[in-house]
Amino acid sequence: MTNNGFQHGNAAGMRIHVLPTKAFKTFAISLYAGVPLDESTVTPTALAPFVLRRGTATYPETMQFRERLEELYGAGFGFDVYKRGDYQIVQFRMDTINDSFVQSKESLLGESFAFLGEVLTRPLLEDGSFRASYVATERETVRKKLEAIVNDKIRYAAERCIEEMCRQEPYRLHPLGQRADLDSITPKSLYDSYTAWLNGAILDLYVVGDTTPEEVERQVIRHFGRAHKETAGYSSNFKPVAVSEVRTVEEKLDVNQGKLNMGLRTSITYSDDRYASALMYNGILGGYPHSKLFVNVREKESLAYYASSRYDGHKGIGTIQSGIETQNYGKAVDIIRKQLDELKAGNISDLELNQTKAMIRNLLSEIQDSAFELISFDFNRQLSGKDRSAQELLAQVDGIGAEDVKAAADTFQLDTIYFLTGKGE
Amino acid sequence: MNKLHYDKLQETLYHEVMDNGLHVYVLPKPAFKKTYATFATKYGSVDNHFKVAGGEETTVPDGIAHFLEHKMFEEPEGDIFATFASNGASANAFTSFDQTVYLFSATENIETNLSTLIDFVQRPYFTDENVEKEKGIIGQEINMYADNPDWRVYFGLIEAMYSKHPVHIDIAGTIDSIATITKETLYTCYNSFYHPSNMLLFIVGGVEPEKVFELVRTNQAAKAYDKQGEITRIFEEEPVQVAQKHKESRLAVSMPKCLFGFKEKPEGLTGEAAVRRDLTTKLMLDLLFGSSTALYQKLYDEELISDSFGHEFNSSPQYAFSAVGGDTKDPDLLLKRIKEEVNAVLASGFAEKDFERARKKKIGGYLRMLNSPESIAHEFTRYQFRGGDLFEVLPVYESITLDEVNARLRAHVDWEQLSVSLVVSP
Repeated sequence: MTNNGFQHGNAAGMRIHVLPTKAFKTFAISLYAGVPLDESTVTPTALAPFVLRRGTATYPETMQFRERLEELYGAGFGFDVYKRGDYQIVQFRMDTINDSFVQSKESLLGESFAFLGEVLTRPLLEDGSFRASYVATERETVRKKLEAIVNDKIRYAAERCIEEMCRQEPYRLHPLGQRADLDSITPKSLYDSYTAWLNGAILDLYVVGDTTPEEVERQVIRHFGRAHKETAGYSSNFKPVAVSEVRTVEEKLDVNQGKLNMGLRTSITYSDDRYASALMYNGILGGYPHSKLFVNVREKESLAYYASSRYDGHKGIGTIQSGIETQNYGKAVDIIRKQLDELKAGNISDLELNQTKAMIRNLLSEIQDSAFELISFDFNRQLSGKDRSAQELLAQVDGIGAEDVKAAADTFQLDTIYFLTGKGE
Repeated sequence: MNKLHYDKLQETLYHEVMDNGLHVYVLPKPAFKKTYATFATKYGSVDNHFKVAGGEETTVPDGIAHFLEHKMFEEPEGDIFATFASNGASANAFTSFDQTVYLFSATENIETNLSTLIDFVQRPYFTDENVEKEKGIIGQEINMYADNPDWRVYFGLIEAMYSKHPVHIDIAGTIDSIATITKETLYTCYNSFYHPSNMLLFIVGGVEPEKVFELVRTNQAAKAYDKQGEITRIFEEEPVQVAQKHKESRLAVSMPKCLFGFKEKPEGLTGEAAVRRDLTTKLMLDLLFGSSTALYQKLYDEELISDSFGHEFNSSPQYAFSAVGGDTKDPDLLLKRIKEEVNAVLASGFAEKDFERARKKKIGGYLRMLNSPESIAHEFTRYQFRGGDLFEVLPVYESITLDEVNARLRAHVDWEQLSVSLVVSP
C-alpha cells in the first residue's frame, strides 16, 4: 500500500507506517496491538497496559516514569483498549514536541521511541513476574472502571444495547474485560499472558511528523529489539447475522431521562464495495443535524435533545441513540421506525443526498489536518485489508444515488430495542 | 489589516477592527485543509443582570443565554444546519459562563460558509411558537445533565462556594426558569449583547487573510448598526466566605464522587495580570495534585483516588476557584489525607527541579494545543475577552519563578475557603 502519504515497511517484527510532514508541531506516534476478542484472554489483555504504565526497568517507580514524560516537554502518553470488529485492540499513543520549538538537549523523537519501546518490551520485573503491588492496584483500577460505566447513562445504555444484541458473540465482551476474571489474575499469570499477547499480537507502529522512514526504522530496531515471530495481518471472519425478529429489552435504573437505543445488523462492512452506500445510509438517517432523526425526533416533535445514528463498518452494525421522557417511549419508537421505513422505501430527497455527501466529504477531507486521524484512517485499512484511500472513498460517495441508499437500507435490519427507564412511577 | 508575527511559534496573526467595532482575527495555516471559524459574543450565563448605556437596568431568567444560542439556529426559511450541510460545513455552538460561541468547520465553500455564520448570528428570528417548541428540547438537555454525576458534582461545588454570583446558576437554567422565557426577553438579550462591538470573529485554516477581511468588511458595511453604549454587568456583592462547606447530591453512582476547591477573594484582574495569575495557579495546582506528584502516587496506592482524579482553576474578574477531585471510595478519608499532604507541601514549598519539570510540561502542552485549530480559536477568544493574548503565553511561562508559584500556593490554599461537593448513591 502506498497512497495516503504513508510509507509502509517492516522492522523488529512490526509493520511500520511513516508519514513525513512538517504540518504539525509534534511527532505523533501510535502503536496498535491487536488480538482476537476472546473470553479467555480479554481481561488479562486489558489489564496488562495498566500495569505496563506503572513502571519499567529504567523507571521502576511510577513517579519516575511520569517525571520522565514531563522532562520530554510533557510528552503526551496514553493508551486505549477497544474493540474493532472481532479484535481487541490496545493502542498506545505518544505526542511529542518537535525539538525545533524548544531548547532540548536530547532528540525528543528518539527519546520517545526509547520510552515507548521500554514500556512495551522492558517492564519492571521482580522474580520473573510483574511487581505484585502494581498488579493488585491496577486490578482495582480496571474493576472500578468497569463498575463506573453505569455512571454515564448515555454510554451505559449504548453498551448494554450492544451487549444484548451480540449476546451470542465475542463482541458482547467489554474491551476492558470481565470483573469476575480479575480476582484470579496473579502477577505471574499476568506476566505469562502479557508475553503470549506480545508474541501473538499484530503490531502496527505509526509515526506522523518531520522525520523519515529510515530514521523510524533505525529507532525501532534500536528500541524494540525484541524479535516478533513474523508480521501477521488481520483477517476478517465476518459472517452476516440474519435477524428473525426484533427483540425488546427494558431495564430500570434511577434516572431522570429515559435512554432509547436501537441496534441494527447489516451485511455491509468496511471492506465491502457497498461501504460508501452504508455511510450515506447512516448519514441520511442520523449522522448529522440535517438527518432524518434529528429533524423528526428533535426539531419536529421536541422529544429529545439528541437523536442520532452511528455505523460501525468493522462489525456490520448500526446504532441509534436518543434521550427522552420515559412516557414518550412509544411515540419515539414509532417515529424512529418510520424513518427506517422511509429509507427502505427509498424516500430520499436530492437535498438529503447532496447535504450528506457534502458532510462526508468534509469529514474525510478534515482527516488531513489531524495526525492521529490520519493514523486512524490508515489503520482501518490495515484492519480491514481493504486498500481504499480517502480520495477513492470520496469518489465512491460522490457517485451514490437514492437507489444505492435504498439498497443499503435493505441490508440494515432492526435487531434490538433497548430502553433504560426510571424506577417507580 | 495588522500583521503580528510570533517567531518562536512560527505563526502569523492578522487583525482588523470593522467600522462597527467587530474584531476580526485570521490565522493562516497553509498546510491545513480545513478552515475553522468561531463567532463569539462576550455574553454567557452569568450576564443575567445588566444595563446598556442609555437603557434600563434589566434582570432576565436563568438559562437565557443558552436558550438564545439554541434559537439563533432557526431562520424564517428553516434550520440553518441545513444551509451549512448543503455547503459541507459542520456547525455548532456552545454557551459558557461568560461567552456564547457559534462555529463551523469546513474544507470547501469557505466564503459561503463564513457568510452563513456571520449572517445567521446577526439575524435573530424568534416567534412565540418556536420559543415554546424549544422548551421541550432544552428540557431534555437539562434532564440529561441531571443524570450526569460529573456535571452534578461540579455544579454542586460552585453552588457550595457561591451564594450571590450567578456563576453558581446552571448554564442551561432549570425547567421552571426557562418556562418564563419569551421572544421579548430573547430580543432584549440579543439587542444588548450581540452588537458587533461586543463580538469577535476568529478564522483559522488554509485562508488568505486579505480575502477574508474583504468579505467581512463588505458583509458588515451592508448592515446598519447604531453605535452601542457600554454594557454594565451588575453583580450583587458576593461574600468572601464560601456559602456551604459541604454539599451532597444523590444519584446512582458506582462510587462516590468528591470534588473540592478553594474560593479566592476576587481581585478584579484583567489583561496580562489575569493571564499570569491563571497560568501560575494552574502550574501550582499541577505541582500539588498532578499525576507525577508524591501526593498523587500515595493516594493512588492507598486506593483513595483513581485515574479520574484531576484539577482545574476557573476565574473571571469577579470569581476565582479551584476544583480538584474525582471518584473515591471514602471521601472523608480522602479529604483528611489531602489536608495532611497539602500541609506538608505548604511547610516546605515546591522544589526547584519539580518546578522546572512542571514548567516544561506546561510549555509542551501549550505547543501541542497549537496543532488544533479548534483549541486555538477557543483559547484565543477566551484570552481576548479577558484582555490577554494567547500567543504571548510562552514568554509568561518562561518568566514565572519558583517564588511566585510558592507564593501562589500559600495564597490559594486557605482551609477556611474550602468547599466540598459530593455525589453519592441514594
